[in-house]
Order: sequence, then C-alpha cells, then structure tokens
Amino acid sequence: MPDPVVVTGIGTAIAGVRGVGDLLGPDPVRGDDDPTDRITGRGHRYKDRATRLGLVAGEAALRDAGLPTNRATPPHLDTGVVVSSNLGNVDTVCDTVRTIADETYLATSPMLLPNTASNVIASWLAITFGLRGVNLTFCNGPTSGLDAVHWARTMIRSGRVERMLVVGVEPVTEPVRRLTAPDRGDTPADGPSGPDTLFDGAVGLVLEGAEVAAARQARVLATIDRYARAGSHDEATRAVCPPDAPVGLWFPPERPSGFRLHQAELPSAVRAAAELDLTTVLGRSSGALGVLQCAAGAAWLADGGPGSVLATAGVGAPTTAEARFDDATSALVLTAGASR
Amino acid sequence: MRDVVITGVGAVTCHGVGSAALWQAMCQAPVRLPDRLPDPYAPGRRPYMYLAPTESLPAAPGAASRLAVAAATEALDNAGLPVGTRPPAPLNVVVGTCMGETGREEQTRAAGGTPGPEPTFSVAAHLGDRLRATGANTSVSNACSASGYALGIAADMIRVGEADLVLAGGADAYSRVAVGCFDRMRAADPVRCRPFDRHRRGTVFGEGAAMLVLESAEHAAARDAVPLARLGQSGWSCDAYHPTAPEPSAEQIVRAMRQALGQDTADGAGVTGGRLGCVIPHGTGTQLNDVVESQALRQVLGAATLDVPLYSLKALVGHTGGAAAALAAVAATLILRHGTVPPNVPLDSQDPECKVFLPHTSSPLATRRLLVNAYAFGGNNTSFLIESGAAA
Repeated sequence: MPDPVVVTGIGTAIAGVRGVGDLLGPDPVRGDDDPTDRITGRGHRYKDRATRLGLVAGEAALRDAGLPTNRATPPHLDTGVVVSSNLGNVDTVCDTVRTIADETYLATSPMLLPNTASNVIASWLAITFGLRGVNLTFCNGPTSGLDAVHWARTMIRSGRVERMLVVGVEPVTEPVRRLTAPDRGDTPADGPSGPDTLFDGAVGLVLEGAEVAAARQARVLATIDRYARAGSHDEATRAVCPPDAPVGLWFPPERPSGFRLHQAELPSAVRAAAELDLTTVLGRSSGALGVLQCAAGAAWLADGGPGSVLATAGVGAPTTAEARFDDATSALVLTAGASR
Repeated sequence: MRDVVITGVGAVTCHGVGSAALWQAMCQAPVRLPDRLPDPYAPGRRPYMYLAPTESLPAAPGAASRLAVAAATEALDNAGLPVGTRPPAPLNVVVGTCMGETGREEQTRAAGGTPGPEPTFSVAAHLGDRLRATGANTSVSNACSASGYALGIAADMIRVGEADLVLAGGADAYSRVAVGCFDRMRAADPVRCRPFDRHRRGTVFGEGAAMLVLESAEHAAARDAVPLARLGQSGWSCDAYHPTAPEPSAEQIVRAMRQALGQDTADGAGVTGGRLGCVIPHGTGTQLNDVVESQALRQVLGAATLDVPLYSLKALVGHTGGAAAALAAVAATLILRHGTVPPNVPLDSQDPECKVFLPHTSSPLATRRLLVNAYAFGGNNTSFLIESGAAA
C-alpha cells in the first residue's frame, strides 16, 4: 500500500474570497479587489496576469502549509510544481501576434517574449519560490485541473519529489474574452460570478506524502483518494465510487449549455450527496476547476464534512445524446485527513 | 515495476515523412540550409526555418496536427496496430507541444477571419479523435522539453499499471510568434542550426513531429510484438533560475542526467560514461546552452566525455520545439536498431568551450544504451535512456 498523499496547504487568489471556506457558497462570489495587488516586491511588471495570479495563490498555499516562500532559504530540491491552465498565456500570444502583424517583430518587447512559452506560469512559480523538483504544465481541457492533482500525487508516489505545489489558474483578459465567446455563442457577462461569467483567479494546493507531512508535524486537511479518467461521466464516476463508500459532497463538472447531468443517474454512493456547482459560485473556470474543487473539498472535509468528496470535471461523451461535448471526464475522490 | 518497451516509431522532419527518410538523412549528414518562410507576414531579419514537406500529409485542422497524425500513423503501423483496427487495449495519447496550433490562428487572422479558441491541447485532442483513441488524452505544455516529459509521463502510466498501450510524442509547426521571438531575443542563427560550432549565433527552428508506441513488456509479448527498444529511466528537474536562460552551474541538468543514469542513489552507482553508446544532447545552437550542456556532460561522464559520441540531431533537422525530445527518442531508437552512430552534420569549427566528442564519420554503436537530453524555457530539464532490453 503506497504512502497516502495528503493536502497540507490551500491558497486562493480570487476577488472577494478571503479564505477557501468562501468557496463553499452557495452564493456567487462578489468582490472588487484585484488579487494581484497582493504581490509585493519588484520585477512583476512584465509578468502576464495568469502568472501573477498563480504567484499569489502559490505563495498563500505554501504559507498555509507552513513552508518557506523566500527563495533565499535553502532551495526546495524535492518540491515540484504542476500548473493547470487552458487559457493561461493566450493574452501574451495574441498580443504578440497582433504586434508582429501591425508593427513587425521589432515592436515586440524582449521582456515579454518569455511569456509566450506555455509553461511560463510554472516556471515563475519555481523561480520565485526556489522549487527545483518536477515542473509540469498541463493544458488538458476541461479535465485539466483534476488531472494535475492526480499527476502531482503520481510524482510523489513515484519518488520523483516529496511535495508538489499544484496551481489552477485562468485569467480574464481581452483576448480570453474574445476567444471564448464564439465557443458559447455569447459574450461572457460582467458582474457577480455565475455560470455566464468567466472565472478570473487562481488556487493553490500543497500536496505531500503523509509520512513527510507527519515528520514535520504539518496539519493535514484531506487525503487524495481514488482517481479515474474515462470517456464518459458515468464511467469515470462508477470507477471511483464503490457502493460502500458514500459521498457527502459532489462537485459536478462545468456543463455546456444544453447538457443535462442528473444526480439520480449517478452511482448509488453519490445520489444522497450534497451538490455544489463551483461554476455557479465562481464562473466558468476551465483548467482551474478541478483544483478549485479539490481546495473547496479539502476545506469542507477539514471542517468536519461527513463522508467523502467527489469532484468531476469534463462531461465526457454522453451516451444519451448525439452531440459530443467533451472528450473525457476525470473523477477524483478526497477523504478526510488522517489527523482529523 | 513494469518494463516499458517501444514497439513503433514515426517521424516527420524537413527531410521527409517517415522514420526511413530521417534515418537516410542521418546517414548522409547533409549541410542543409533552412528554408525561407513562404509567408508574407513572416517576422524578423531571419525569416527562415526547416520546413517539413506538407503535400503528402493527411488533412487536419492545423499544421501541427497534420504532422502529428502523419507520425502517429507511421508509429502505429510500425507497431502492427494500423489506424482503423481495434487495438488490444485502450490506446492512450500523451502529446507535448510548444506552440500548438498558434500558426493556424495567425493565418486565420491574417486572412481577415476571426480565429476560434485553439488551446494548446487541440493537437492532442485532434490526434485522439482521429485515432479513435479511447484511453486518456493528455497534453503536456513544457515548452521545448514537452515531448520528453510526455514520454516520461507515458512510461509512468505504464509502470504504475494505469495503461498498457500509449502513443506518446510531440509536434510543432511554423508560427510567427516563435520565429519572431527568437529573432527579437537575438537567439536566431543567420546561417543554419549549428550546435557546438564556434560561430553559432542561436538556433533555427524546424517543423517536425515524432510519435512512439509504448507498451508494457507483458502487453507487447502477449501480442507477439517485437520491441524495438526499451524506454529506460528518466530524470526530471527544474533550474528555478531564469525564464529563458539555463543556470550556468548546470546543477539541475546534471541532477536530471544522474537520475536517468541511476547515479543519484546513495551508493553513487549507476550507468557510467563507459557504459553509454551515444548521447543525443539538447544542443540547440544558442550560445549558453551548448557550453552549459557540455560542462554538465563532463561532470556526469567524467573522463569518458571525450569517448562517448554525441549525435547532434538539431544540426540536421533544426530545433523542432515541443517535438524535439521525441524526435531524439526516435533517432536513438533508429541508432539502436541499426547498431550505428551516424556521422554528425559537419561543423565549420567546433567551439573549444564545448569539449565534447562530435564524430564526423559513422561508427559502430559500442554499447546498446543511449542518453537523450531535453531542456526548455523555465529550466525544465529531462534526461532519459533508450536501451536494448532483454526482449529487444
């Protein structure tokens, strides 16, 4: 039996959210503050919005886990980073394309060009906090956030690292608004978060092996349990929800317009669970959703929530409809931490 | 822990479609100059790149996907699992790409259209759709080492029992952003891609794709597939130093190499330089990369550094970005199968600061084990072994 992997820190960078408990809704999140204002120090002028949001959430998660955030301390040789974002740096890429088209490449700023690399968020997290373990970026569509949490656990279990910082981030910028509008046939709304708005923010989780966490007397918020990825929502949830393990809270996937997912059709272990759709609370959060679900689920469990937590992302290819929506569904279960 | 074997390879480069075309070019080692980009909007003082032939590529929504589908089709054919037949186990797909279909968006905009959303994962998604691959579909965005990480992730999936059959690799095509950015950062060579050359001035990008069929050894044996090679251990590390430049002491790229070679254990044992038949370096042609990598190889291989031949693949095909590591893996597999280290593309003059062995004549592969290095912006380092296993 491999050493369990546990959640020991959570951090957020979301307007109007003071703590992860705010994600447990059910009301939409409201806030006029800009989380990137929390960044201190120099050298952030040329970082894109997704990177700045990721840095705020990453630092908060490391602090919450009781880990140093100053790279002047000995580097974290055995701490890695995995970032999930589907739209992370499209603003830099789009702006660069436009600049080259309008004014030639000579008008581009060499200071901004590193931001065109799709792994720029994970790179800056590693540089800023001295994280020298595995460094991964997933742009994996709707399932990306849960896939990232799963891969973080795999990295720990395989012995590549002792600890992982997982960050899910999606920014709202003008190119993101423009690029996502045709996808839905509408323009994302302004105002309070909800299913018709885009999520602008980031969330960070610190994952580590249970023995490593115990050795440093870290507080354990939750344990990462079963994970499955399958072609349909039904298949993925059945793979992680045996009948004898009742689910207390279910985070459903972001659902495209016109797609219905009935709780009554879920495995029996899930039918009595409370349902919390984070898309309603925070807006359409794409690659950040799975990490947000795990953060909120860990907070719920740490607060004494009964049973386990099921998070699902991606609606998969429904068997009852002709139209195909997503390619896959990921499902992940969290259980209470050992120290509860 | 289950062994991971390679049972099929596919490649597309500027030398043509198919791994046979790649091997032929490797054996001939021509000095091929990059192509002038046939794009009126091509940016920079040096609008050049090693372009892949497109006329025989399958149709797909974008250039990177076309390259990926062509390489995947060859790899699956090579593995005895031709597209259209039902594989014996769910086919999983892991693809690394640097720019995805950015080039397609640029073309749409230049033609007056409005590009739709083309996130990086569109290449992996299209490939999975085209192949009817019902397993996991993962897109890795680790810049120029992306396909090296894709291979490592695919191997880990097999080792832990999550998958029996994975198609893993990478693809990248022309995009104005990549070419323009390197030119603007003064990291584009005005002549050709010439890693380790005294007069190198940067890299030159190339279009390309490479795909490998990976299986558990048991799965391959059960269907009587003959492995081409074994995918050995991989090491991963991060410089945590600078968004674009390598860390000058090479501490972390040394760490990745030692992990792959098994030298990071308490007793310091593992594969030594004398037990390596060849190294395919990252070697891009940028000033600092080649010097730092040479020094790192010296730290890891010791006195054997000048005996172990380096095969500098990018001098032949350019820097294929997110496809580069997978292309190196295909080249390593071909070297292993033929038992020959091909001649390097000739340099004008090797940089005396790069004290590595770059033979310009072919030689027998002395030891059936190769080390591949792949690095990227953000200091994302990976090294891995391609070797002959018991079954290979």
